[in-house]
Amino acid sequence: MEELQHIHPEPTSFIRKWVFSTDHKVIARQFLWAGLLFLAFGGGLAMLIRWQWAYPGEPVPAVGSLLFSGSGGSITPANYNSIFTMHGLIMIFFAITPIMIGAFGNFCIPLMIGARDMAFPKLNMLSFWTFLLSQCLVLASFFVQLGSGAAGWTTYPPLSTNVGTPGLGQTLVVAAIFVTGVATIMGGLNYVTTVVRLRAPGMTYARMPATVWGLWLTAILNVLFVPVLGSAALLLLLDRQFGTQFYVAGSSAVRGGGDPILFQHLFWIFGHPEVYILILPPWGFVTDLVSFFARKPAYWFKGSIFAMSAVTILSAVVYGHHMFVTGMNPMLGQSFMTLTLIISVPAELLFLNWLHTIWKGSIRLTVPMLFALGTIFVFGLGGLTGLFLGTISTDLYLHDTMFVVGHFHLTMAAAAFLGSFAAIYFWFPKMFGRNMNQTLGKWHFWFSAVFITLVFCGQLAAGYAGHQRRLFDPYQYTFLQHLHPLNRWTSYFAFLLGIGQLPFVYNFFRSVFMGTKAEMNPWEIGTLEWTLPSPPVHHNFDTIPTVHRGPHEFANPEVKKALGRDWIGQAEELPKTEKAPAKPAAAAGAS
Amino acid sequence: MQRKARLVKAAATAAGLLSTTHVGAAPSPEPGFGLPRDVSEYGHHIDWLIEVTAVFTALLFVIMVIWMLWACLKHNEKHEADYDHGESKHSVKTALLLSAVIFFVVDGNLFYNSTTDVFRVFWNHDSVENNPQAVKIEINAHQWAWDARYAGPDGKFNTKDDIITLNDVRVPVGAPVLLQLVSPDVIHSFYLPNLRVKQDAMPGMINRLWFQAKQTGEYDIGCAQHCGVNHYKMKGTLTVLSPDEFKSWAADQSAIGARGYDPKDNEAHWGWEWRARN
Amino acid sequence: MGEILPYRPPRAREEWTAYLGMVIFLASWAMMFGSLFFAYGMVRARSNEWPPADLPSLPLVVPAINSVVLVLSSAVLQLVLVALRRGKAQFAGPGLGLTAVLGMVFLGLQITTWRSLFDDGLTPQGGPYASVFYTLTCFHALHVLVGILALGWLCRGALAGRYSAARFLPVRLWTLYWHFVGVVWLAMFVTVYVV
Repeated sequence: MEELQHIHPEPTSFIRKWVFSTDHKVIARQFLWAGLLFLAFGGGLAMLIRWQWAYPGEPVPAVGSLLFSGSGGSITPANYNSIFTMHGLIMIFFAITPIMIGAFGNFCIPLMIGARDMAFPKLNMLSFWTFLLSQCLVLASFFVQLGSGAAGWTTYPPLSTNVGTPGLGQTLVVAAIFVTGVATIMGGLNYVTTVVRLRAPGMTYARMPATVWGLWLTAILNVLFVPVLGSAALLLLLDRQFGTQFYVAGSSAVRGGGDPILFQHLFWIFGHPEVYILILPPWGFVTDLVSFFARKPAYWFKGSIFAMSAVTILSAVVYGHHMFVTGMNPMLGQSFMTLTLIISVPAELLFLNWLHTIWKGSIRLTVPMLFALGTIFVFGLGGLTGLFLGTISTDLYLHDTMFVVGHFHLTMAAAAFLGSFAAIYFWFPKMFGRNMNQTLGKWHFWFSAVFITLVFCGQLAAGYAGHQRRLFDPYQYTFLQHLHPLNRWTSYFAFLLGIGQLPFVYNFFRSVFMGTKAEMNPWEIGTLEWTLPSPPVHHNFDTIPTVHRGPHEFANPEVKKALGRDWIGQAEELPKTEKAPAKPAAAAGAS
Repeated sequence: MQRKARLVKAAATAAGLLSTTHVGAAPSPEPGFGLPRDVSEYGHHIDWLIEVTAVFTALLFVIMVIWMLWACLKHNEKHEADYDHGESKHSVKTALLLSAVIFFVVDGNLFYNSTTDVFRVFWNHDSVENNPQAVKIEINAHQWAWDARYAGPDGKFNTKDDIITLNDVRVPVGAPVLLQLVSPDVIHSFYLPNLRVKQDAMPGMINRLWFQAKQTGEYDIGCAQHCGVNHYKMKGTLTVLSPDEFKSWAADQSAIGARGYDPKDNEAHWGWEWRARN
Repeated sequence: MGEILPYRPPRAREEWTAYLGMVIFLASWAMMFGSLFFAYGMVRARSNEWPPADLPSLPLVVPAINSVVLVLSSAVLQLVLVALRRGKAQFAGPGLGLTAVLGMVFLGLQITTWRSLFDDGLTPQGGPYASVFYTLTCFHALHVLVGILALGWLCRGALAGRYSAARFLPVRLWTLYWHFVGVVWLAMFVTVYVV
């Protein structure tokens, strides 16, 4: 391994150190800043949506006169369509992806597998700058005449063609999606290769932390399915700019026209793996964190790895459940429903393993642990609501209602969001060499978890009552008028959720610049990154370690006897035999 | 020519509104939370499945939360952690068994009921196609309104005696209603919350939807697919009439339509020959 | 660095890493081309007649020649690899150059095909049939172009003596790329032109 990873001299100039750096740790921080910035942006857009539903047509306080000067400070229907479109796109592609996959993928993978950097450091740098370009394209789209994209994040044609949504804004947005896809594929390629090729001696796949598993499986999905989004976007761009007829149908069709459903197939063949792309890293984080902070081995770790891999493999074949009401062949619908129900099984297994891990543990409710438990809570809720949507008959009623919105916000937004914060609070000491304030962290957690639950349960309730999504003014419909108070309260909780992020913003900035110096291993964890200084030096490991055991070796009596503590490092030498026999079956079946 | 057709359309709508007998001027609001009123013959299948699954999933969720709370309270840092990798045969078997039980009970119930409901009822358009009592309506969903067309006494669409309405679908109670949905511009979705069904209107395709109402009254028709700036305003009204009221309304409308018929108005002939697929 | 590098078997560790990177890179492109073929399949399945009656049908002769050209070029490139492995680095430069030239022949023939179809009335704006045809072939041609540029660069390096039996990783990587491009062409030839 040493011969594969030469120790290069550290860069000295400011530009090479902090701007055009090939150091995965620097690139990770770059992705983190870029992602957090757009997270705030996307969150702001969400606040606008909630304002409109609480007080339809009323001028938005504070920012209204600035943003919507043409309409006296209120949001117009056209604005509203852009707002919910860009909220979705920004959150998925330009906030959560860079934070979880760009930042933590980059930071954690080499460190946790015992490598000095990624397999292709220059490609890594290129992926960040490509990503930044895509963010610029998104920003640019807001300043063009007809506004930004407005066809929903799902960008269905014909609405998203130049017939449905003319103007440069939508084109820029589709181009931004294409460019960010390129950046993602570059990153994914790097992650997959790095995990396969640069694991330290003794670091078998079974000994890799779940975090690496989650990020690696995500990278595999990215590499295979983002290109499909790329084609969908490419064909849409061709239709918009070059007059091709892939998706244009109806009265604008030439010679029979294209097929809007083609886009839906291509989009969801990407789109369903995408939601697993967004959840596999948090699943990885949670699997590790609940073990770390229950001070107990991860229960049936191989089962969890198997579950994550099974979900990865099945992810592409369930996509049709997004298209049940497009008029599909019932037999096809049946197959998609069956597969969708089946894919819930590995997820169930993962939950059981998490619950068993914390049971009879010695739980420390640290901030990362709180966020990990919160992730389990919201994903449990969200995941269960998925059953209603994966089943055809119930989906006939619930499709395109707020129930869907509540479902995916709980599973995708809430779980990824809470999971990302778990990761941020957990690795902050190692990333920045300083500690975050834990009290503020706990406030941040409770505020976030409580209001997230309230907001998205409010959406579930609205959807249950039949409330459609993407409505500028829902109260045009008689059957929705009575839901105005529900929507208003959901909005209040959303505003409080937004305000609840302020302790984090303050904490994060303050800690980066003025936090107390972090120790090497503040959480007392055995994975390899905690054997390095906080933050690690440029080349990470002076000598590549040799790994002897898995990442969740806690509460081992042999270790307690030999070392006087409840944990042992993955590469640590144990004076006596390494593995204690597992306790007899009586303890193992406790539940 | 087109202006005349539009005036006639407007007159028809006005006449239609005036000729409503003892129904209210608009759908009545829904009371409370939960599922909206169900006025369909078969919607209760969906309601039942949603409610039963809700009970199952709520139960599972509550168990999970209690488990987590108990663990956090009782197995805190004072408790000594159990050294268990959970890899024994017993542990693995328990985990798999538990997953299997949940899967077969909850998912199995969903699978079985959805399959029977969808194939026997909701997507069984052919059975309605062959039902002589069925009322057939062509819906042209466009930005941002619903045009509806009935075949009229001659039973053929796109002819002189067609009934054409705007945002106004009237059906007799107790009879199956079969819709064919098209769109000339973007994707829309015809949604009847009080009958629990929806289907997309896809440009370039003809989609089908059927339902049967079991109660008279007025109900909302919604658009359930983002279709542009006025998506939120694309609302229609479904009026369920008694069979006699429906017959007289249809006869009146057909006569109005025939009077205003202009064979040269291409735009008004948006209908198509009914595609009975078998 | 001046020292004589020991002969390393082709599966040296660093090379495997780069090779894996190229394989994954091509897997991504395969998925993208796969999606385009999927689009082609859907468009064709939906249409009543293919090709549409009033549009020019696609030629067969020139694309067939193109297939031969590409297969030949892949063969030449594979021989370059064999030569390098056997220590006959002097053949690398000319071989790479020949492959690049064959690639240019392919492009040239493809351009004439497009020209003639365009003149016959098949324009990209001419509906789904034209859209699919031009998109698939243009996208593939772009990949051929990138390959030609890479081969040209490799050729220059080979003529300057950069590659030897001990180190010819870039040639290996781009050979894989070139074979990939050839396979995609063959799939396209069969599904678009022949069937």
